Amino acid sequence: MNQIVKNQRVKSQGVKELSPTSSLMPRIIVCLDVDKGRVVKGTNFKQLRDMGDPVELALAYEQQGADELVFLDISASNENRPTALKLVTDIASHLSIPFTVGGGLKKLDDVKAFLDAGADKVALNTTAVLQPEIINQTAKAYGSQCVVVAIDVNKKDDGTLGVYINGGRRLMENDFFSWSNEVAERGAGEILLTAMHKDGTGTGFDAELTRQVSEQVNVQVIASGGAKNEQHFLDAFQQGADACLAAGMFHSGEYSVGQVKQYLKQAGLNIRT
Amino acid sequence: MKKILIIDTKAGNLFSLKAAIERLGFAVTILDKPNDETFDGVVIPGQGRFGTVLKNIRENKWDVFLESARQINLPILGICVGMQVFFEASEEDSNVAGLSWFKGKAKALDFPKKPMVGWAKLDSEMWSDSVVYFVNSYAIKQSDLSIAETCYGETFCAAIKKDNFIGVQFHPEKSSEAGSEIIRQALSLSGAAK
Repeated sequence: MNQIVKNQRVKSQGVKELSPTSSLMPRIIVCLDVDKGRVVKGTNFKQLRDMGDPVELALAYEQQGADELVFLDISASNENRPTALKLVTDIASHLSIPFTVGGGLKKLDDVKAFLDAGADKVALNTTAVLQPEIINQTAKAYGSQCVVVAIDVNKKDDGTLGVYINGGRRLMENDFFSWSNEVAERGAGEILLTAMHKDGTGTGFDAELTRQVSEQVNVQVIASGGAKNEQHFLDAFQQGADACLAAGMFHSGEYSVGQVKQYLKQAGLNIRT
Repeated sequence: MKKILIIDTKAGNLFSLKAAIERLGFAVTILDKPNDETFDGVVIPGQGRFGTVLKNIRENKWDVFLESARQINLPILGICVGMQVFFEASEEDSNVAGLSWFKGKAKALDFPKKPMVGWAKLDSEMWSDSVVYFVNSYAIKQSDLSIAETCYGETFCAAIKKDNFIGVQFHPEKSSEAGSEIIRQALSLSGAAK
């Protein structure tokens, strides 16, 4: 990696050394799909009374040690907007870790509504590609830290990488690496990189692609797509992912966030447990 | 029940912060202008830019309110930019003067990836091994009042304490149980001013 930064810190007397350049810990982010105020896609928390309740599930994941949560499609349909906003406020009032909402945010007013309702960040995907200016506008109004740009990347027929929108259904002309740079320049605070060619395969994150983007772009990169076990997290973090996002392997009950974290800790990573 | 005031600087939603303080058993009032009520502690939230937060503080005479709060030794907790405004200046808005309670200036973090986003362990005697959530591009690099440090490209000041004032660069309301404990301690300070 060419990312080694000279350690310029001046130590005051009697303070013990921390890690050389950054004390930030690799993050594990759990993704929940929400529809009409309910978590959809099977979750398997036997201890919960109501496994579809986003607030209960969110708290269960906080307890397990999740560093952040992402709620997707919470805002997808306009008819349910007031319910969705109330749900976001409920989550904000119960959870004490950061959370992002995304899916269906079509204009700046949508973004504002969800941030004002209590979301820490919004994830912009299709809207960012179609109206990139919304990245600048959101960053200007709320700060870059509120803007996660989600990029769905997949291999095209010719084997090169393409940027997709509308839940992966539509290929755009954007060059993948130029788009990654552009979103950071426009003010994204983080990039959520979903490797669609890995999604659902259970063969692990595209750690190599994550490394390439992470080295090239001056914002944090969240790897997503393909995780099935704890080794996949280790691979991605060792390649330079700042955070890893997963859903199915946690929802199925196969792994708890805590188990994955223990594994990473034993492997020598600096992990919040 | 102790009453805590959150100053609404109109820079973002306060749901998480209010809930975090209420979970500790405090009653919370949110005000955008000072009134005649008395409180047992004050919190300045960590949202918005240095310049706009200070503009709001001065326009609503919160600077006068905070000065009297300091005189009577009220616990005050400043979070992120809500701590930085008590210093002299910030590179974020270099034409705006801070409240200058403390010496020093917020400067841009010297690390390629900005903002700093995520969890980091505190190097601190008071909060030994606490891991808390940071979201910032600016920080106070050094202060005599520092009680916790962490590192992002270089070491910076993660928290300061002066009498009953605690300032934290991180977001305790987003830092799970570790953050909750820090809020509790900050709002329970009762030592007399030196």
